[in-house]
Amino acid sequence: MTTSRLYPLLWILMISVLTLSCQDEITTTYTHRTMMPVYLEMSDIRARTITVEPPQELDSPGKIYIYGNYLLINEPTKGIHILDNSNPSNPVNKNFIPIEGNVDLAVNSNILYADNYVDLLAFDISNLNNIKLVKRVEDVFTHMYRHDTGQIITFKDTVITSENAYWGCANCEFFTMDASRSFAANYSAAAQSYGTGGSMARFTLANEHLYAVDESTMRVFDVKNAAEPKFVKPIDLGWGIETIFPFQNKLFIGSNRGMHIYDASTPSSPTRMAVYEHIVACDPVVVNEDFAFVTLRSGNFCVNNINQLQVINIEDPYKPYMMKSYPMLNPHGLGLAGDNLFVAEGKHGLKSFKVTDVLKIDQNQMEFLESMKAVDLIPGPKSLIVIGPDGVCQFDYSTPSKLIRLSCIDVKNPVVIK
Amino acid sequence: MKVSFLFLSIFVLTLSTGYGQEKVYYNQTEFGAMFGRVESQWSGDTEERINFSMLTFHGARISKHHVVGFSLGFDHYENLSIIPIALGWRGFFGKDGRAQLIGGFDIGGGSTILEKGEESEWGKSWYEGGIMASPSVGAFFPGKKGKTALTVTIAYKRQELAYYQGSYEQVGTQRPIIISQLPPGYNSMTETDYLFQSLVLRMGFSF
Repeated sequence: MTTSRLYPLLWILMISVLTLSCQDEITTTYTHRTMMPVYLEMSDIRARTITVEPPQELDSPGKIYIYGNYLLINEPTKGIHILDNSNPSNPVNKNFIPIEGNVDLAVNSNILYADNYVDLLAFDISNLNNIKLVKRVEDVFTHMYRHDTGQIITFKDTVITSENAYWGCANCEFFTMDASRSFAANYSAAAQSYGTGGSMARFTLANEHLYAVDESTMRVFDVKNAAEPKFVKPIDLGWGIETIFPFQNKLFIGSNRGMHIYDASTPSSPTRMAVYEHIVACDPVVVNEDFAFVTLRSGNFCVNNINQLQVINIEDPYKPYMMKSYPMLNPHGLGLAGDNLFVAEGKHGLKSFKVTDVLKIDQNQMEFLESMKAVDLIPGPKSLIVIGPDGVCQFDYSTPSKLIRLSCIDVKNPVVIK
Repeated sequence: MKVSFLFLSIFVLTLSTGYGQEKVYYNQTEFGAMFGRVESQWSGDTEERINFSMLTFHGARISKHHVVGFSLGFDHYENLSIIPIALGWRGFFGKDGRAQLIGGFDIGGGSTILEKGEESEWGKSWYEGGIMASPSVGAFFPGKKGKTALTVTIAYKRQELAYYQGSYEQVGTQRPIIISQLPPGYNSMTETDYLFQSLVLRMGFSF
């Protein structure tokens, strides 16, 4: 082949290639998590019999409640696992009570209280082999109703993939925006906040009354007769309520704007004593006689970029004031056992402090277990229960300065912390 | 891993084919431009794009007319740079010492190592390179002394690429959803798949 013959060939090739389309292709897929509305008739739900099931693997545990030798672990919207924790080194999964729409629980004299969408249920758990539903208080958590026809709306956590930049399904968008008041918000809050026994509780028992807080309301139930809970009244709290912590005739309610102190000496009608306000942050609370310990952390809803442990003086509960704040890494739940304060630092680990001198907490750090990622903890009578990405772990804290790991319950879908 | 396999195969080829007086190592380094068309995502109009491209091919002559090896390049698309790494072949048609026709084929992947993703409290974005394939034809004009040659190449280049933009969960700590097509901890993910198709004109030298 000579050069002269080669050129025309090249030109032919060039022209043919040029005429080919060299258009770029760009395809975009949007995958997002949304809340799909699900409409339910309460009459249908009430008609279903709740039958206790054999033990089930923990999927994504929510609240943990310690009752005697038992651990009751809520699986948000699904039901309650009961574990025998006689030996904290080896907790044994006993059974599962399927309760639709359940996010919280509390136990009082062998009676387990649990929410079932808009109703409050009471189970007799004195004999674990024969758990009985003894009472249903209807239509108490009414914020879930969309209209008064007995139909409620719940939201199913769903993932949608589409090629359109339209963020949502036909029905979803409106409801997604509205979901903050609904069960969904309650659910996600519940799913994140754990432990009725812990500092992030939403159901709490005090002075023969059951207090249930949702986003904006506290509902009071008289449980003098444990098996016969009676709805007393709702109390409006304002927005962004997250946790409730009872202490000596007072209720300490953590909201994302601050801490409310309620006088519960008349248990059926708690009255507001004070609101200690701070900047918006997510904050669980624990309390002793003189001080409240509050953690503020920067999360996505709690926009302020502040990670702190605050000590608030509550000697005069009408005039709480901040005594000192300590910088933290990313504090979530916290627990107080005597003079020992345990702080779950999210992905950073678990810290313990002596708080005998509240002005020198930073100088009295006992341990910092960086490997124990934690979002909440409960100082129980037998063990310190720590919830984190590794599941539900228990520590021997008889020597508070030296935690000893006893066991970890495997969880199928552990919490994700960033 | 892939790269080390490439080097190994070239080494083996080099050993097994070191015959005669023919030089075994072959290098072809070229610079040029990529021509393509892109549809504007807003107006829908088609716009022309012209981007810089370079390629360096290192190979071993396995027979008189065939060279195999690997190629490494640098392609600059509109907003991003890609390093294509590929296995390649070059075939020569024509008499020695004269202008020859070169056929070529490169197949491999494009690395987005030069593109830094972004990460913030709210989310994360990153690029993932994809498959690259490029058939080419060209001309080989040997120099006077026969060592270095001038080369001109026309190629079609197909480069796949994905861009991910994820936003984290709205609530600080949340459960992963079981049926999730989303990685844990993410609330949404936007995946943009790019397929760049270009006509490449390159010029360079080989030795």
